[in-house]
Amino acid sequence: MSYEFDWAPIWEARALILAGLATTVMLSAASLVLASIIGVIVGTAASSHRLAFRVGAGVTVEVTRNVPLLIHMYVWYVALAFLRLPPFWCGVLGLSVYSGAYVAEIVRGGIASVPDGQGKAALATGLTPFQTFFVVIYPQAFRIVAPSLANVFSQLIKDSSLASAIAVMELTYVAGAVEGQSFRTFEIYITVCGLYLLLVTIVTLALRFFSGAREQAPAMELASA
Amino acid sequence: MPDVISQNLPFLMRGLATTLRIAGLTAAGGTLLGLAVGIAIHLRVAVLAASLRLYIEFVRGTPLLVMLFICYFAFPALLGYRTTAEQATILGFILFIGAYIAEDVRSGLRSIKPGLVQAALATGLTHWQALGLIVIPLALRRIIPTLFNQYVRLLKFTSVASVIGVQEFTGSAMLVNARVFAPVTILAFIALTYLVLCLLLSSIGRVLHARLAV
Repeated sequence: MSYEFDWAPIWEARALILAGLATTVMLSAASLVLASIIGVIVGTAASSHRLAFRVGAGVTVEVTRNVPLLIHMYVWYVALAFLRLPPFWCGVLGLSVYSGAYVAEIVRGGIASVPDGQGKAALATGLTPFQTFFVVIYPQAFRIVAPSLANVFSQLIKDSSLASAIAVMELTYVAGAVEGQSFRTFEIYITVCGLYLLLVTIVTLALRFFSGAREQAPAMELASA
Repeated sequence: MPDVISQNLPFLMRGLATTLRIAGLTAAGGTLLGLAVGIAIHLRVAVLAASLRLYIEFVRGTPLLVMLFICYFAFPALLGYRTTAEQATILGFILFIGAYIAEDVRSGLRSIKPGLVQAALATGLTHWQALGLIVIPLALRRIIPTLFNQYVRLLKFTSVASVIGVQEFTGSAMLVNARVFAPVTILAFIALTYLVLCLLLSSIGRVLHARLAV
């Protein structure tokens, strides 16, 4: 092995790398929120008593999940270019719609795991349907699906790297730029891997904390790209 | 079929062939790697198991695109060899999906009850025979759904290879788009193709699971 490690150029590019990290964090955070909203709406529709809602939500989820994320991003960036959305928001929308389908599946599973009687009892005590969902069903479902949600959210953070393909200057994009300038290929990608790992760990720990910090059952294997 | 698609169909199909070649090769390679790693960890092979755990954790925390960059730029620089974009893609995908499959294999192996192994040993099979004839086949049949989940992911992932310049399906389609500019038609066409292929792949998984599940 004749490769000599030299970390100095990485340190010199720290401002750029941190800016990239900040963009990745914002991109992921915005997508995480939007994906959760989409997921809750579609997932709730998927567990509706009305057939039309169930079928509609099911088809939406299947179609969304089975199209590569990169295509989702190109849809906003290239096909809907007339909207003139900035690349960042194309990335957010692509990522949110794609991950939203995975969140929807989890929400549907979570709602199904809350016993039917809970909803009926809540309605019987005079809560509105809206209150029933937000006060009774979602909180219980959330505890059950928190590990799977952590999986999808960490996947989302990693997937945000694909936004570099539509010229969002996030971490992976910046890594390419730093690599091009310094040729410290290995050092920069190891650094970037470490930063992604850090973000994923933070999100996983945060979800564990918010879901009641109980001993977690092994997460449902819900994979995404 | 719209003109844009029919006129460029041979070109697009060549891209699709590349996509399928990459997906097929990496599915096979990733499954073999995942099996080897999963079994090694399950058997608690000294030192090896610990370093393999590290490999799995590293890969699962790394975005696919970064993995591709590592295989395309970093490994060749580090180890001093030359590679093409397609070779780097295949290596990267195998290393990437192998880590996920290894986890699936491991949980499949763990789901086999110890009593089964004891029964196998009691009938006179050696440890290796029990593993090879009883435990591994049963575990594999049990993880068919997750395995096919990974294959579907892999098929979708192949589109990422276009970012490092592999002319697979998405890459070819974007090239066509750059020449004729019909993004809506072209993207709809490739999205639909991926959708059909992925649904096909998952239904194969479902049929296999229904036939072979234990």
